[in-house]
Amino acid sequence: MILKSIELKNFRLHKDSVLTFSENLNFIVGGNGQGKTTILEAIYYMCTTKSLNQSPDIESVNFEEKFFEIKGQFEDLTKNRININFNSDVGKKAVLLDEKQIFRAADIIGKFPVVTLIQSDHEITQGSPGERRKFVDSIISQASETYLKIFIDYNKTLRQRSSLLNQIRETKNPSLYSQLDAWTSTLIKTGSEIIRHRIKFKNEFNEYVKNAYQKIMNTIETPDISYQTFTEIEDKNIEEEFAKELNKKKELELIRAKNLVGPHRDDFIFNVNNRELRRYGSQGQHKTFQIALRFAQFFYMKDTMGRVPIFLMDDIFGELDTYRAKKISEYLKEVGQSFITMTDFTNYSDLVKLENDKLIEVENGTVTYV
Amino acid sequence: MLIPEPLQLVIDELSKLPSIGKKTAQRLALHLLKSDKEMVKSLAKGLIDLKEKIQFCEVCFNISVANICEICTSQKRDRSKICVVEEASDIIAIERTNEFDGLYHVLGGVLSPLSGKGVEDLNIKELLKRFESNEVEEIILALNPDTEGETTSLYMAKLIKPLGLKVSRIARGLPIGGDLEFADDATIGRAVISRIDI
Ligand SMILES: [Zn+2]
Repeated sequence: MILKSIELKNFRLHKDSVLTFSENLNFIVGGNGQGKTTILEAIYYMCTTKSLNQSPDIESVNFEEKFFEIKGQFEDLTKNRININFNSDVGKKAVLLDEKQIFRAADIIGKFPVVTLIQSDHEITQGSPGERRKFVDSIISQASETYLKIFIDYNKTLRQRSSLLNQIRETKNPSLYSQLDAWTSTLIKTGSEIIRHRIKFKNEFNEYVKNAYQKIMNTIETPDISYQTFTEIEDKNIEEEFAKELNKKKELELIRAKNLVGPHRDDFIFNVNNRELRRYGSQGQHKTFQIALRFAQFFYMKDTMGRVPIFLMDDIFGELDTYRAKKISEYLKEVGQSFITMTDFTNYSDLVKLENDKLIEVENGTVTYV
Repeated sequence: MLIPEPLQLVIDELSKLPSIGKKTAQRLALHLLKSDKEMVKSLAKGLIDLKEKIQFCEVCFNISVANICEICTSQKRDRSKICVVEEASDIIAIERTNEFDGLYHVLGGVLSPLSGKGVEDLNIKELLKRFESNEVEEIILALNPDTEGETTSLYMAKLIKPLGLKVSRIARGLPIGGDLEFADDATIGRAVISRIDI
């Protein structure tokens, strides 16, 4: 899938920008606060209908204006036009795909797959287990509508069940226990499906991570992801183990009125040469792992979805040594269309470029081609 | 502008209805104001009749003109089967198919701790009472296939099975007449997960 062009009206600093893109690398260069990352944000909006940093729509409206509009043209086997506009007076966003309004974000998710490599990615390797679950869940949800549905069901079950645990704690009403059994059954059923999907994903994804890591580093270091859920389980007895574990924590769940067992407490452990990255990894290993995860995501999504995602990279070359910067730009040749922001031209001359790559300079919301 | 009281009252009442916002309520109220007097009178009478003449069946909680609904009193229905549904509107949907000739029971909702709905808030006791006649042999659970519906089905099955009744759940999955390739992925995925032996 290729993004041919976009038009931005009153989108943050961009009052009126029209951009056409290369189907290979698009380097977007500009100082801080000049509006280069805004271009990535606009692309992300079109692919997901949501903002990249999860800020409310109104924050993307130019401070002197009352609305913003993003228009884009994608080309895959067919051509698609997408239009997103937001009006601050109405406080509503409209999403149009080929002039037809889209009412559910789910109708567009997965249609224009996108992979981002941004500053906050350091949280995936350094942050809490929730960050890693979020990373994994967002990939599986994009690749499998079934997973997305089960995931939503599971989270609803968690909320219902903790509300019931709370009621039991408050009222001590014995008739509530039989209802708890029913919610526990649903929890086990949907939770086990989640675990099964995650095991399968972890097994498949590991190959992609290994491949990406070694492309970037060219070392004998071997990365690996292991999956940690409530017990050491194999694919077969998940329901049984789940029930056993819940039984062990029964009293505690009632005292704390909380769901204490299930995939909402899982973690994914990242290792390099069998040593846990989070504990023993160097700064460089963390950075390489973060980049490898996104490249792995790209190729995984490409293979499972049969669509080539768009790759967005925000300001990553600045903090890399020349060797890795060169390796990554080489690797990007295998990717296809990518959008890469840079604050300056450090490393630029060392990057591996193709003839039809584009270099776009952004200054105070205005775009010039170099 | 100050809105005259009778108009404001109608706007307020209309906006209490589901899926009607303040703006729509205002438009509807103004429309009624401009409408033919006979039409408005007929609507008002219809609304009052709806409340006064229609009630819920004492046996199955279906909507009914008499104390006991037509389905419950019919001699043509198979009295050994009861289909359990969430709302009376589900009966209309199943009746349209002409595929079911048993009786119904409206639960009046599903279990949902978050919205404060528990066992006592559903017509479960009344269902169990219907088994006393010993006519009933099979219960078909036809609740919505969402988390709450599934959980309520599990709860009901566990409650009823020990009584020696046959309990089944309506199958879910692919729409009939539609090709596999046109069904959405989640539906196909679910259908594969809940596959049955043949
Ligand atoms: Zn009845």
